[in-house]
Amino acid sequence: MPPKEKVESTEQVLQAVILADSFDERFQPITLETARCLLPLCNVPLISYTFEFLAVAGVQEVFVFCCSHSDKVKAFVKKYEKSSNMKINTIVSQELMSVGDAMRELDAKQLIDTDFILVTGDVVSNMKLDQVLEEHRARRQADKSAIMTMVLKKASPQHRSRSVGDGSLFVLDQGSKECLHYQPVKAFKSTREDRRMTMNMEIFDKHPEIQLRNDLIDCQVDICSVEVPALFTENFDYQDIRADFVHGILTSDLLGKTIHFHEVSDVYAARVRSTQMYDAVSKDIISRWTFPMVPDSNLQVGDCYEYRRGLVYKEKSVVLSRTCVVEEKVVIGANTQIAERAVLSNCVIGKNCIIGANVKIDNAYIWDNVVIKDNCVVQHSIIANDAVLEQGVTINKGCLISFKVTVGANTTVPAYSRLTALAEGEDDDSDAELISDPAVVGATGRGRSFTEAEGSDDEDEDEDPKNKQVNMLAFDMSELLLATKEQEDSASDFESEASDLEEDQISPEEELDREVAATLDRAFQDGHDVDIAVLELNTLRMATFSNFKEMRKRVIPGVLKHIDPAARPGSGKTAKEILNRWGSLVGKMIHDEEDQLDGAYVLQRACATLYQDVAQAQRVFAPALRYFYDEDILEEDAILEWYHSEKSQQGTDVERQLREVAVPMIQYLEQSESEESDDDDEDEDEDSE
Amino acid sequence: MSKNNELVDDLVAKLKRRQLVGSSAVAHATLKLLIVVISKNNWSTCNQLLNVVKSVGQRLVQANPTELAVGNIVRRVLHVIREEFREAESSASTNKNQSEFHAAPLTTSSSMYNLLGETNSIPDDNVQYPSSLRSNIIQEIREIKDELENIYDSIKNQASLQIHSNEIIMTIGRSKTVEEFLKMAAVKRKFQVLVAESAPSYSGQDMAVELSKAGIETTVIPDSAVFAVMSRVNKVILGTHAVLANGGLVAISGTHMMAAAAKHHSIPVVVCTGLYKLSPLYPYDEDSFNVTFNPDSVLGFEEGDLIDKVTVTNPYYDYVSPDFVNLFITNQGGHPPSYLYRLIVENYDPNDHTFDL
Repeated sequence: MPPKEKVESTEQVLQAVILADSFDERFQPITLETARCLLPLCNVPLISYTFEFLAVAGVQEVFVFCCSHSDKVKAFVKKYEKSSNMKINTIVSQELMSVGDAMRELDAKQLIDTDFILVTGDVVSNMKLDQVLEEHRARRQADKSAIMTMVLKKASPQHRSRSVGDGSLFVLDQGSKECLHYQPVKAFKSTREDRRMTMNMEIFDKHPEIQLRNDLIDCQVDICSVEVPALFTENFDYQDIRADFVHGILTSDLLGKTIHFHEVSDVYAARVRSTQMYDAVSKDIISRWTFPMVPDSNLQVGDCYEYRRGLVYKEKSVVLSRTCVVEEKVVIGANTQIAERAVLSNCVIGKNCIIGANVKIDNAYIWDNVVIKDNCVVQHSIIANDAVLEQGVTINKGCLISFKVTVGANTTVPAYSRLTALAEGEDDDSDAELISDPAVVGATGRGRSFTEAEGSDDEDEDEDPKNKQVNMLAFDMSELLLATKEQEDSASDFESEASDLEEDQISPEEELDREVAATLDRAFQDGHDVDIAVLELNTLRMATFSNFKEMRKRVIPGVLKHIDPAARPGSGKTAKEILNRWGSLVGKMIHDEEDQLDGAYVLQRACATLYQDVAQAQRVFAPALRYFYDEDILEEDAILEWYHSEKSQQGTDVERQLREVAVPMIQYLEQSESEESDDDDEDEDEDSE
Repeated sequence: MSKNNELVDDLVAKLKRRQLVGSSAVAHATLKLLIVVISKNNWSTCNQLLNVVKSVGQRLVQANPTELAVGNIVRRVLHVIREEFREAESSASTNKNQSEFHAAPLTTSSSMYNLLGETNSIPDDNVQYPSSLRSNIIQEIREIKDELENIYDSIKNQASLQIHSNEIIMTIGRSKTVEEFLKMAAVKRKFQVLVAESAPSYSGQDMAVELSKAGIETTVIPDSAVFAVMSRVNKVILGTHAVLANGGLVAISGTHMMAAAAKHHSIPVVVCTGLYKLSPLYPYDEDSFNVTFNPDSVLGFEEGDLIDKVTVTNPYYDYVSPDFVNLFITNQGGHPPSYLYRLIVENYDPNDHTFDL
């Protein structure tokens, strides 16, 4: 029986898993209406490139995981399957929120029984996987713990097809082709952890030579073994395949699994992760870096693009007027008409579009059935299907104009606008009316501007907003850095609106006030030990970089506050009772004579401010001073110095009256001191004798 | 039928993905497929069969329009089908003067007479064809196959007529035909070969290795040195990807430069090619049959800062106009460019230049 199994395993079909959902919102509002993987890239749906890539690799069976807009994906896949020789299964699950969920689903359904290729539905690549597969299999034969092979591509740091916000740091062993450590790198490192990397030192014991690489494009093409989905199930909190899974596996001592890599250099591989990458990958396709996946290969059935000089791709049925200018790097889809004197450069125009006279289109991506009337200017933007730009519209860079939006005549759409024709808060079935915003789309327009918050925001809350921005279409890094300053200036406006954000905006002093008060309240309420309260306060002091003086200023009133001058003995609220219980807390904040003096001042002021009535204040102050003296928290030198100092005699009336309360005590102290000194003298005399 | 479609789909996909490239390989695959299509499909009349073959041909040609050999083979097959039907018809309608009828269409199809006279060269659909027709057609197509297989033999046999002792021959790129040709010549003669390295594919280097293995004195020169050494060369022997109707070549990039240098020095340019590379299509646009490859080999993709700012193109082929070429050596003998129109008429039917149904 076993030999037969072996025969089967060599003949096993090559399987691949495509994660068709992106699990993020970078293409919104366009992705509110269709799936990310169906967006046209150079007039071919994105996922077609992935299918093609897998077909070339010899994949026979594909599982497509989709969540949002699954019906559309399903319909497309069904159509596509007919013209391909792969078996494509669509798996729909509405609960998919991350890569991890998809992998767990995969494990639950037991669809995979051999090593498989895991890709996302937005990979564009012309690499041949046979060598990678061979390497992976050979490694598996030798060592069962090698569970995954990542395919990485080398590229210079400023490369356009490197996603700006999605950098990664790899620690690699070139000898064994093993990945030893992984860390994602953000474009803007706002927190201290972002700027640091922690690595297990044991790596150095096992691997005499390692490389730390930041020059690799990670397009998330992985050859995974069947253990990978199972490991996702075991570690149910893994979401991301890189930040959670790879990082987790490599840092775990228990699992003992290894992850390998395969570095490619002379092939193309990129992921359309963001609008910025959409732009870069489109340009790479037009510039033929993805050859043979170029428009004139006509990957899609029915396409008939021809290549012309200057990287111009034109369908046969395009109507170009005599005076229109088609400059470099242009793709024009079937049945599109370009009117007189229109100028097109660096752009992709879909099927059945009508481009009016004198229109200027630069760097833009115009999808199917778009009508652009005379004298429009479109710069570096994406315009989705069925949108209409009336006469004289100007679209500035970085705009996303979603499906069926109409921009009224002579409107200027500001840079980085996102327009949608979906009604606000519209789900799939609600029939809310679209309220067009004339300020945005003009008087005759149809659509409104889209704000990010509408979508369920499950991005990390601590994420720097700048990291999101760098992924945007046409984003200029220099502009971003300039804008940051403005943003910080305008932050105060923000504060009043968003109460959640208040925390970040208050001064550190106020924050300390609040924290100390909260700590003390907790301690009083829950009846903590003094030691615990002290520990908490000390942690707080260190966390806020403040000193004991600051703490005294807050702790002494904090304790005194709880004294009820009118309370009867036995109620637990008299000055004596409170001080017996919590007085030593103050003691922990006082260390040397200077502290004592300061403590006395603080005590005086605290009593004066806490209790308006002089009698009440005196009733608190006297026992407090007494207590502190008895407990040696305030020594007599400090109290005397306080009493005689000018500072204590100034201040408000209440403060001065409080000083008077201390008079009997001072007299007593002075007396005892002189007695003491007499004693001392006597002693000295004795000694000298 | 579905099996057929699967085979067609498979070949279409391979052509699209460029998993199958090169005139010879493509021609063989096309012919093999067409034999299956003709033998497995149901057809009873000439038009039916022509349409079946045409529709397959159209798909194959669209899959990769730059592999002209695909279209050429389909046209050859269509031509054979017409001939066979004509023959069958003539034998069915009359048994006498068979040979006369048989010859008639060939001579008239290309003459002015044909334009004005009867045009129904396609046989009537009502004729009852002999049952041997199918096998006859297959037989004829197999002959094309044999021709393809023996192409190198018939070309290389002319080698000793073209290459003389102590000559210096220049060539570019790697062409199997030229390689066989030179190797054959080396059996009898002693001569020297200069091979331009043919950047960025550097296929000239592989060619040089092959030639030197066969004992030919071979030198690799950079492409830029072609003009400089041309004055010492006796003959330029070129391979080609395709030959167009006007005698122009679609050949590896650098060929145009070499041919122009040869013309400047009045050095004869000889092109070795099988007839299956001869296409009845006319180059209205120089770029129309060119392929632009991944620019990676010209400027590495790693140079991220640069590739944003420049446009890099990497055309694989050159168009060489017919006035640069002195002689074509085909499997049917040597022909000047001006004679190619005649070969086209003999091998292809004028109705088949496009595959519109």
